Amino acid sequence: MSAQKVAILGAGVMGAQIAAQAANAGLEVMLLDIVPEGAADRNILAKGAIDRLLKMQPAPLMLPKFARRIRTGNLEDHLDWLKEADWVCEAVIEDLAIKQSLYHKIEPFLKSSAVLSSNTSTLPLAQLTSGLSENLVNRFCITHFFNPPRYMRLLEVVPGQCESSGLANLTTSLDHGLGKTVIQCKDTPGFIANRIGSYWLQWGLLSALELGLTVEEADAALRPLGIPKTGIFGLLDLVGLDLMPKILANLQQRLPADDPLQPIAQIPDFLEKMIASGFTGRKGKGGFYSLDTSEGKRVKLALDLASGEYRPARKPDLAGLSAARREGLQGYLTFPDKAGRYAWRVFSQTLLYAARVAPEIAHDIHSVDQAMKLGYNWKYGPFELLDKLGVNWFRQQLEAESQSLPEFLEKSRQFYQIQDGRKWQLGFDGQYHTIQRPAGVLLLEDVKIAGKPLARNGSASLWDIEDGVACLEFHSKMNTLDPLVMEMIEKAIAIVARDFKALVIYNEAQHFSAGANLGVLMFAINTALWDEIERLVAQGQSTFKALKYAPFPVVGAPSGMALGGGCEILLHCDARQSHAELYCGLVEVGVGLIPAWGGCKEMLRRHSEAADRPGGPIPPVSQSFEQIGLARVSGSAFEARNFRILDARDGITMNRDRVLYDAKQLALRLCENYAVTAPPAYHLPGPTGQAALDMGVHQLRLKGQASEYDTEIAKHLARVLSGGDTDLVDEIGENDILGLERQAFMHLIRQPKTLARLEHMLDTGKPLRN
Amino acid sequence: MLTYSAPLRDMRFVYEELLQGGELQSLPGMEDVSPELLGAVLEEAARFCEKVLLPLNQSGDQEGCRFENGQVFTPKGYREAYRQYMEGGWPSLSCDPAYGGQGLPHMLHCMVGEMICSTNLSFAIYSELTHGVYELLHQYGTDELKSLYLPPLAEGRWSGTMCLTEPQCGTDLGLIRTRAVLQEDGSYQLNGGKIFISAGEHDLTENIIHMVLARTPDAPPGTKGISLFLVPKIVPQADGAPGPANGVECVSIEHKMGIRASSTCTLSFNNAKGWLIGKENQGLRAMFLMMNRARLWVGLQGLGLAETGYQNAVHYARERLQGRALKGPVKPDKPADPIIVHPDVRRMLLTMRAYNEGMRAMSVWAAARLDHSERQTDRKTRQEAEDFIALITPVIKAFFTDLGFEATNLAIQVYGGHGYITENGIEQLVRDARIGQLYEGTNGIQALDLIGRKLPAHAGRHLRTFFQPLEAYLNKRRNHPHLAPMVGAVAKAFGRLQRASVQIALKGMQDPDEGAAVAYDYLQLFGLVALGWMWLRMSETALAKLENDPQGFYKAKIATARFYMEKILPRSGSLFSSIMAGAPAITEFETDRF
Repeated sequence: MSAQKVAILGAGVMGAQIAAQAANAGLEVMLLDIVPEGAADRNILAKGAIDRLLKMQPAPLMLPKFARRIRTGNLEDHLDWLKEADWVCEAVIEDLAIKQSLYHKIEPFLKSSAVLSSNTSTLPLAQLTSGLSENLVNRFCITHFFNPPRYMRLLEVVPGQCESSGLANLTTSLDHGLGKTVIQCKDTPGFIANRIGSYWLQWGLLSALELGLTVEEADAALRPLGIPKTGIFGLLDLVGLDLMPKILANLQQRLPADDPLQPIAQIPDFLEKMIASGFTGRKGKGGFYSLDTSEGKRVKLALDLASGEYRPARKPDLAGLSAARREGLQGYLTFPDKAGRYAWRVFSQTLLYAARVAPEIAHDIHSVDQAMKLGYNWKYGPFELLDKLGVNWFRQQLEAESQSLPEFLEKSRQFYQIQDGRKWQLGFDGQYHTIQRPAGVLLLEDVKIAGKPLARNGSASLWDIEDGVACLEFHSKMNTLDPLVMEMIEKAIAIVARDFKALVIYNEAQHFSAGANLGVLMFAINTALWDEIERLVAQGQSTFKALKYAPFPVVGAPSGMALGGGCEILLHCDARQSHAELYCGLVEVGVGLIPAWGGCKEMLRRHSEAADRPGGPIPPVSQSFEQIGLARVSGSAFEARNFRILDARDGITMNRDRVLYDAKQLALRLCENYAVTAPPAYHLPGPTGQAALDMGVHQLRLKGQASEYDTEIAKHLARVLSGGDTDLVDEIGENDILGLERQAFMHLIRQPKTLARLEHMLDTGKPLRN
Repeated sequence: MLTYSAPLRDMRFVYEELLQGGELQSLPGMEDVSPELLGAVLEEAARFCEKVLLPLNQSGDQEGCRFENGQVFTPKGYREAYRQYMEGGWPSLSCDPAYGGQGLPHMLHCMVGEMICSTNLSFAIYSELTHGVYELLHQYGTDELKSLYLPPLAEGRWSGTMCLTEPQCGTDLGLIRTRAVLQEDGSYQLNGGKIFISAGEHDLTENIIHMVLARTPDAPPGTKGISLFLVPKIVPQADGAPGPANGVECVSIEHKMGIRASSTCTLSFNNAKGWLIGKENQGLRAMFLMMNRARLWVGLQGLGLAETGYQNAVHYARERLQGRALKGPVKPDKPADPIIVHPDVRRMLLTMRAYNEGMRAMSVWAAARLDHSERQTDRKTRQEAEDFIALITPVIKAFFTDLGFEATNLAIQVYGGHGYITENGIEQLVRDARIGQLYEGTNGIQALDLIGRKLPAHAGRHLRTFFQPLEAYLNKRRNHPHLAPMVGAVAKAFGRLQRASVQIALKGMQDPDEGAAVAYDYLQLFGLVALGWMWLRMSETALAKLENDPQGFYKAKIATARFYMEKILPRSGSLFSSIMAGAPAITEFETDRF
């Protein structure tokens, strides 16, 4: 049984955010901290933490009201609350004595089945448990969250001697409930991710200084290796410059003398001075980068490492980067410019280090790769990178530099291989082992290894995920919906109707879909292909309708962004099984358009069919109008439910890796007695409703909250949502509203200001308010 | 001997009646550029070209340039002609008044340029390169270099060259080897060799200013490591007076198929002194300004030669008596009818005519847009003009030179066997026209530029400046009582161009070979539609003036438009079919089987 109630001890940055994520998971949460001396409100620390949670960005809570699931208390008056807790998570200051005294203090209040975990990032489990009762030691483990806990999927667990059923229950809570990928680690300093990550950051910093790269150059130079664009310096700014010396000092103290981190762990003088004078990164006065807002504009500054002064950030011009695109990674790492030299220097040593320490810190290489991917957002883990580079090649390069190789690297040829439709990893024993997925985890990644798609084109594929269910995957750029995706949807409908029971629409990119392919649309505008654009709109409408009325259940399974057309396709599914991290909305007005692939008609239907809706004919219209007119995007799947993009029977999955499995199960459930949806009938207010909406927009315009062109777009949206020239007593159908959508779209698409909005979005990725 | 009479009437029709003076007078600095002024300058230019340049064309071709001990001597009469060219103030026509220029529009320069190309292409190369160097230096040079070099260039006392090509490096400029090393005085020392340098050495001017692409010692490999240098043949003193000779040596000149009076040199740079233009490693950007202008001008060469070919072919077809018209004698008093009575001869003449007048309208329009792109004060309008020029440059360069070659070749055909005889002069036009398809980027490269750079940039933003106005134009005239049939014909071809564009954008995104394999067809299709639009606009203008048409000029305009619509534009169908068939027939053929 997984945990129902959790107590978080310590309401600092991590404790509060862990509490928030537990609340997101639907757990009952108790958040306790000490009573500050002389405090009038003895719960002030925990209460203050909740206030901060509600203000923090990115938001730790998926809905503000989830804060009500967190009970606030203190570590003196409310210790008996702990009796209810299935899991107690300690997240107090990194001080062994304080932690241990707290453990002694709470021990009497823990229920016998409860597990106690520490969120320490620096202290070894052996030290934490020394001197504790055997009873407590057997219920103790380390659960190391990454910051921010809601968004970082990695959770490192050091099981210690925690007995297996307690550990299994906790893992279930962390995995299913909090949505984390649990990686078991050995009890070594920094565990997995921070051990390798700290080495990488420190070595990257020192190497940039030594090779004379600017911070922008250094950060750009690591991108070809799959490092996020923050690179090293941007990441240090993000985590706080003052944290590095602490982590390094701790590692230096606890690692053996011959660890390669030892000789490089010294923080450069200039950095110490920066920290001392408050330049600690984004949370302080600035870091390696800073923002200058003095002249009303936001100018990004970068620290000149030689002079110690800020100057405007420059786009690096590195020849090696184009070599990387042209010649691949090997060509890049041997490219004789500073980018190539830097990338080689940083990664040759980082990968060596990873290969050296892996057997000591992890149970297998897959854990190491997962930890770096989920904890540091690397695109590839160190061993995946080695495979990409070619292990032999890598070894030859190092041998040419007369570097000594760790044994594990010396013997290896390839770390992963595909055989019998499965992926195998090289164990520290020199044998290949299959990679085990937890029950209830179904990944397209694995399906792809096992077989060939049922159908495929440049933008989408159809996969067999067994038990009569097929999966439609988008893989166009940013998963935008282009004519090829539409083609594949139509094909999928035919194939599923013939050979399958149900269809799931899902992919494993960061974002489900950014919406219609604006590049294709823009190209059609630029070539004045107006009739072609109208055809594209009509094709989208009919394809989505075909999906909606297909003779089998269709489940949309989104994660990340689902915007514009990406939202509309979800609205046409029978049901949705969404990842909790869903950022979904009809954002077309941002590019000067309105939803025209049935988004308007679907939102109208949802707002009028909702059981809890206000009475009268106007609310569904005005609610749709507000939602689309303001281009609202949900901050989570729960908020999408409030927007009525998700409805009552739709599911929400906390763990990204479980979305497809859950969606498949939902699809199979829908197969029982499946009946095709009946087309809805609409009664809309017509011109009178439109006049009411126009008045509202007029008010916004007067208050300066809408531009003149916003008003113009809103007028067209109002006409569509009010049903055009209809009247409440008339009944109109889907096709009538689709016609109105098309008409409004085709009008707006020819307007210069819409063109300017589209262009701005394509060039900058941001909406333009003109 | 060839004859030539500048097409002043047609030019006036284009700049005054069709384009309303290019709407130039609204631009700052252009207020005084009236049609009257343009007309007066063009008449002067016509006189110079007909009387001075044309007579030297054939003799210059036969004599060629002479190379002796590092020196190049132009054919007899060229020095004198060049002196008159300078005295007439022609080199400075569209140069900046701040640096010795007359500040007249590109539009005018373009029409004068056509006449020079019509009458003596070899001569045109000496003069036009100088103008390119002027513009390049004007845009990217330091004030110091500008005040020292621009006035004598505008005057024509000094001439210019562009030095890109090396033996191992033609289209792929990333392979350049010429080295430039920074000296203590801020200048650079250049060493290396360049080939195919037009006007690289000659006896027309006091000094020659070379624009040289080279690498600095620590430059990154490839095109990102190329810098641009100004290297004078004679290093001028601060006051412009001649200083010491520089380390630039002409090693040899080429013997060529055509443009034989133009010297094509192999240059050797031995510790030559040079000055950086723009920034290090950003030389290609600067050079591309010059190259893009040069490409527009190469397009004009196609037009210029085709015009001379047409005029002489018409003349010949009227005079040459052979056989009888198929429906019975037209000139029964003569021993035979002139060959102009034969439909096939008329087909050839009309083809040339339709090409030439279409190209002329297009080139003058483009030149006017170039003026807008430089002088418009409104940012957006200026940007649109720049986009248009960027888009149309490869089309004008490649399509016009292809048509120029085809038209001059047709001129020979009209002459029959006499066209093949050197003395008659017509075969020189074909030889001279052939180079246009090769230099300043082969026409294949132009097609790649069009589909690879211009078409996809900003999701087709460049295309908008052509496609949207054309669509709007056609839409407005769909039911025009007289134009409708022509509107239909152009709309049909335009629809093909639109669909081909989308096809290439979509397919090319996934497989670059798909775009590359149909690029040439696409450029041809684009050119056909562009001239189709020009013919439509010319017809509309002419239609309004039919009532007062004593010379039948407007009637002939409309008749030529009809020929274009019915006999030339339908080629769009075959090009479209070929584009839609895609790459496989080309790419899947096994290389070993060639």
